[in-house]
Amino acid sequence: MDAFWAFMTVFTQPQLFGLVAIGTFAGIYIGAIPGLSVTMAVSILISFTFSWDVYPAISLMVGIYMGGVYGGSRTAILLNIPGAPSAIATAMDGYPMAQRGEAGQAIGVTTVMSFFGGLVGIIVLAVAAPFVAGFALRFQPRDYMLLALLGILLVGSLSNGSLVKGIFAGALGIAIGAVGRDPLTFTERFTFDLKIMQGGISFIAVMIGMFGVSEALSQLRNVDKQAVRQKIDKIVPSFGTIRKYLPLSLQTSTIGVVIGALPGTGGDIAALLAYDHAKRVTKNPETPFGQGAMEGLVAPETANNAAVGGAFIPMITLGIPGDAVTAIMIGALFIHGLNPGPMLMIDQPDMFWFIVGALLTANVFMLIFGLTGIKLFTRIVEMPRSVIIPLILLLSVVGAYAVNNSITDVYWMLIFGVFGYFMRHYGYPLGPVILGVILSRLLDENWRRAIISEREDMGRFFGGIFGSPLSLVLFVSVILIFVSQTPLWAHMKARVFGQPGAHDHKAGIDRR
Amino acid sequence: MDPEFRGDADHHDGTSDATPGGYPTQRRPGELAFALLLTLGSLCLLYNAYGISGVEALSAPGSVPMATSLVMVIAAGLVALRTARLPLVASETLAKDILPVMVILFIGFLIAFGLLLKPLGFVPTAALFLTVSIKVLARKSWLYTFAVALGSLAVIWVVFRVVFTVLLPAGIVPEAEFIQFFRSLLAGGAA
Repeated sequence: MDAFWAFMTVFTQPQLFGLVAIGTFAGIYIGAIPGLSVTMAVSILISFTFSWDVYPAISLMVGIYMGGVYGGSRTAILLNIPGAPSAIATAMDGYPMAQRGEAGQAIGVTTVMSFFGGLVGIIVLAVAAPFVAGFALRFQPRDYMLLALLGILLVGSLSNGSLVKGIFAGALGIAIGAVGRDPLTFTERFTFDLKIMQGGISFIAVMIGMFGVSEALSQLRNVDKQAVRQKIDKIVPSFGTIRKYLPLSLQTSTIGVVIGALPGTGGDIAALLAYDHAKRVTKNPETPFGQGAMEGLVAPETANNAAVGGAFIPMITLGIPGDAVTAIMIGALFIHGLNPGPMLMIDQPDMFWFIVGALLTANVFMLIFGLTGIKLFTRIVEMPRSVIIPLILLLSVVGAYAVNNSITDVYWMLIFGVFGYFMRHYGYPLGPVILGVILSRLLDENWRRAIISEREDMGRFFGGIFGSPLSLVLFVSVILIFVSQTPLWAHMKARVFGQPGAHDHKAGIDRR
Repeated sequence: MDPEFRGDADHHDGTSDATPGGYPTQRRPGELAFALLLTLGSLCLLYNAYGISGVEALSAPGSVPMATSLVMVIAAGLVALRTARLPLVASETLAKDILPVMVILFIGFLIAFGLLLKPLGFVPTAALFLTVSIKVLARKSWLYTFAVALGSLAVIWVVFRVVFTVLLPAGIVPEAEFIQFFRSLLAGGAA
């Protein structure tokens, strides 16, 4: 019964309800405006809400997160520019539909499907998280360590980029997180005997730099890009259309939740994998993929919103972020003195049920705002980038400064902004860096706890891993990620599944 | 899906973790130098990490830093080796595609912002920053520039100073007095 009232918190307190609504509304626009991303917005928001109570702060962030993941689809459909990373796959079929004059229908279906995906994600979160938390109590320190490693590695291995670059980014993040005094022995680490380094590097400065400044600098190239206006007709889709795509959307929602729940990987990767899945299972699309297939819209949009609920599962139950945004939210909870992990679910189950309620509210608001206000929307999205970019940079500076009232943090933000700019250009993923920073302490402490309890003996440590089914599964997963990148894996795959070339060729024919 | 597709606005610059920048089979100008720099930096970190506690125990404060910096050295070294073997992208140059003048200019603006923020205060520095950067980017009349810059600054100031109650450096502007004046005005109006 307590859980029910905690769940209802957001509905009984008008202030929180309003903040979720404002957050969702703002999120849709933040997601829609190219150059503004949810990750960026939430990282800047932490520094503005840290003086608030934790519930209002979380309400706003949850709204922005849910709205932002959806909002990117609008610009993807109307302008062929994905407003947010999670909408990259949406542009592939959404824009061709808009060109045919079906922009309204595309937006309508996208909105309803995002709502559906979001709902599936939230239901799975509500049902699965308490189980996972109960299970997580039995986790050993080494399991946490392995899970953290897995999270950092997964991003690099599931994206299109190079795993080695992902590993570098993750290790860099762990190193950044280790700067300062060691919490256990107070030894200085990576401080280079500088006084300003002793307190460590503010993770908010790193986040705002990596996701705010580097993005804004990259967008400087696109200042003069003109938006193409589309005519928008009827938006609300018919029930028949929705019913037709329901089976597919259930499958892709599942993909979304699972990818979201895996540590580290979020909506952007989920959307691309779901798009691939839709392409494989749809035998005879009415319109070919890439030319405006409805399936190509349904799949990524259900998956990316389903990933939101999924991403909260490891965040709340284990303290391990499901994606970059939940990594930042963990940072926000730290600032508010909360420590996400299995104990949070036991000590403060209210927090969990409140988040579930807030997510559900945000999802409903997303549907409402999504199906209305399209005229206002086209106006705001056409705001010139020559104004938006300076504003993002200004907000980044204010955000980095505000947490500790320190100019040093502004410089850290700048350094990581420029560094992140180069990392983007040369194909290094930024997500693992943030994950590394957030997980650095957890990794370090759990490793030391694990190895001390095994009396500093590596043999006993591995003995422990092989003695516990969970540790073994995690350990094998970590190893598999490495093996999957070697030529040996390709060779084995070819032997097990037949000739890869022939298989791909056949799939290519099927698609046509 | 086509791994080369990265949305229309993209230009191999990396939009997210799912679609990182760069080319799979070519290297961009400066990519090798960046990888070498990372290797060198990682080596420095490894040396520094060794200095934390040496190799005294597996649970020593320096063990995780040493392991991570070792991983960084290996990963960066591998990336450098792989990058060195790739052919250069023929159509790109460092000045045009990686580090255009505009980007350098804005990094300069941001450094100046940081330098002036404390002595001058938030409002004048932000006004200066917005005016100059909007003028540079939009290339429109001064009237437009001033109107947009000061208008948006006013909104930002109200939102952050009043709604989020963020403390910003006051500098030369008597901000507290202004807010007090405003409050007493409102209080007077309400009474």
